[in-house]
Amino acid sequence: MKSFLIRPALALALAAGIAGCGGSDKAEFTVGGTVYNLLYPGLKLTTNGTTIDVAPPAKAGDQTSFAFPNKLEYGDEYNVQITGQPLHQDCTLASNYPTNADTAGRLAQIAIPYSCVLQTHTIGGAISGLTVAGLVLANGSTGGTVAPAKDATSYAFSLPVEYKQTYGVTVLTQPAGLTCRVSNPTGTMDDVNITNINVVCAPNT
Amino acid sequence: MKRFYLRAGAALACAVTLTACGGSDGELLLGGSYAGVTKAGLVLTNGDQRFEVPASTAGNGTGSFYFQDLVSTDDEYDVKVVGMPDNVDKCDVVNGKGRAAFNITTVQVICTFKKHKLSGTVANLRASGLILVNGSDRVEVPAGATGFAMAEVPEDAVYGVAILQQPANQACTVANGSGTMGKNDISNLTVTCAP
Repeated sequence: MKSFLIRPALALALAAGIAGCGGSDKAEFTVGGTVYNLLYPGLKLTTNGTTIDVAPPAKAGDQTSFAFPNKLEYGDEYNVQITGQPLHQDCTLASNYPTNADTAGRLAQIAIPYSCVLQTHTIGGAISGLTVAGLVLANGSTGGTVAPAKDATSYAFSLPVEYKQTYGVTVLTQPAGLTCRVSNPTGTMDDVNITNINVVCAPNT
Repeated sequence: MKRFYLRAGAALACAVTLTACGGSDGELLLGGSYAGVTKAGLVLTNGDQRFEVPASTAGNGTGSFYFQDLVSTDDEYDVKVVGMPDNVDKCDVVNGKGRAAFNITTVQVICTFKKHKLSGTVANLRASGLILVNGSDRVEVPAGATGFAMAEVPEDAVYGVAILQQPANQACTVANGSGTMGKNDISNLTVTCAP
């Protein structure tokens, strides 16, 4: 008699438990995160068939939050990909974060960090008449120096220049017996390598 | 009798161990990284250990250092700067103090270069628009100016001032525009504009 009563009670409890956990109030997960140092528009992120545009913050240097409008259910897989890079910048998954792809519900919160850096490009140009070694070119106090070898016909600085940064190439040391002049020595970096900072050397008269 | 030999043997082993492992001989590295060191002169100490950090070979003043003597587990360490290269104002130690539990690679020594002024005179600048650059440093020089100053330059660093933009309807040239910053301010740059 006793066991007869217990069994239906257990079944009832089990049924109540199932109704409580599942069914209508499913857990939903938002795929979101933060982008650091985004300065220009154009960043596109995509997951589960939805693409969002991430706009730069109103104040340069602030971080930007993003959230996908399509909510995921427990167990859904997501894989956030960068499908468009912003102008003048390269964004990547922040280096200290393990993954941009996982299963919804495994982590308490889906918060993926991205960080962006300004693109850099090299500066350099052609050289003619450099019949001896000794030429040293400098890009101010910040851009390093380069010492093209004897008979070199081109050069480039090993330190690249960031987008919108200025550069100015001057002769720091003239080679013995020659005078070298720099054409197109200055500019403001755009989106391509600069290759027209040409150097022409001629014997001293 | 047997027991007596055993005791003597144990005592001997103990003494040998103490000689080998004890004293100042440790088993853990003590070191880390430095920045702003372009010439010799940086001297670090930890207690009575002294280490002269050689000049960076990387060309940018950065590198890593380790004290020659190892430290022991549970030793306290306190890295201090007792000598600096002559082209820096100060050298700060970060994460320099603690108690050793594993190899210590996180001590940072950051030296700050002395900086000096870089300036010059301007002749015959009648229009606006002149912009001078020293690499990424950009300075606009207004019409009628008779002088200009660029951002300060670290001692021993090179400089090269060039014209990014000419003033309206004038052409200017820079003399003494490039060189290496010494121990004193540089003020002999001249910008001459025509017509």
